Amino acid sequence: MRQSVQELATLYQSNLFAAAFNICKNAQDAEDVVQDTLVQYYTIKKEFESEQHIRAWLIRVTINKAKNVTRTFWRRNKISIEDYMETLVFETPQAENLFEIVMHLPEKYRIVIHLYYYEDYAVREIADILKLSESNVKIRLSRGRALLKEALKEEWDDDK
Amino acid sequence: MTNKDRYKQAFSALLSSQQFQLKEEEMAQIHNKHKKNIAVAAAIACAVVIGGSGTVYAADIGGIQEKLSVWLYGKQTEVDVTENENGGYTLSYDRGNGTEEMSAYGGVSIDPNGSQTWLTADQLATTISASASIEKDADGKVWIYYYDQKQDITDLFDKNGICQITMTHEGRSIFLTISENEYGGYSLTQTDDTPETSTSTTTTTTTTNIITTED
Repeated sequence: MRQSVQELATLYQSNLFAAAFNICKNAQDAEDVVQDTLVQYYTIKKEFESEQHIRAWLIRVTINKAKNVTRTFWRRNKISIEDYMETLVFETPQAENLFEIVMHLPEKYRIVIHLYYYEDYAVREIADILKLSESNVKIRLSRGRALLKEALKEEWDDDK
Repeated sequence: MTNKDRYKQAFSALLSSQQFQLKEEEMAQIHNKHKKNIAVAAAIACAVVIGGSGTVYAADIGGIQEKLSVWLYGKQTEVDVTENENGGYTLSYDRGNGTEEMSAYGGVSIDPNGSQTWLTADQLATTISASASIEKDADGKVWIYYYDQKQDITDLFDKNGICQITMTHEGRSIFLTISENEYGGYSLTQTDDTPETSTSTTTTTTTTNIITTED
């Protein structure tokens, strides 16, 4: 099955942007990544099994493109995450604190945490998207949670 | 409130402001441009390997390249290089006014097949030196730098907010197109030829945000 790019942009634009930003830590890079991902969907002939299959493909491509952006040799004098956060409107101080702490986690924990807590993916699905073993995802999730708990204390529950 | 609720609340603040180009002709245009850029990146990577300018050098310290001399903002600058968590490099350097700045650089180029090739620190330094850079000073003047050259382009922007100039270093000319972006910075496109006559082997793009200097 195929969905139109316009439909996918409406459904997933915010999710793809959040996933890309999670890796790039830069809004402009993240927007470029989302645009490129949508272009890639438009240009490939791939048939998908379901809407969830398309969503997972989009997330995977977004993550890979975002990683490529952080590894290309062209420099970008980045706006610091703290400066960029001043342009965002958070519902609560706790939300702002959580956002900042997540963005300072190591990338390998950050993206697993994001897919679990924001995209509601299960460990098996995260493993499939990131091409990691389930045990590796569990370890990263566990270590990421531990870092969040250590930093956020009572603002973050103990997850199993 | 569960952790998932907390997380989603925190990241709901993150909204893209961009209107993505979704029409067929726009997508096709972007796709063609992307293919062109891959070929260009490959050409530039070759230039990096073959055509070192002699204006950069790397010093080995304990077998690990840690210090490089590169052209940054019109000055030959000593930078400390460390590998970062993304597999690229973080450069830190003194802008001359006692303040330390840091820039993140990647560590790969893309070959014609789209495969990634890791750059050495020397290749990275050559690439950085050959890239023009832009900044806006405390007086609101916009400066463009290329090797030891510095040019005030504040009044060179047209009514669409675009400035096009040519700069030359040791016989090699580059053509620069600078436009303001929505983040208060500038997008900078650097090619080896004018846009009208450029070919797929010489065009590439780099984007730089404003740095406001204190001095």
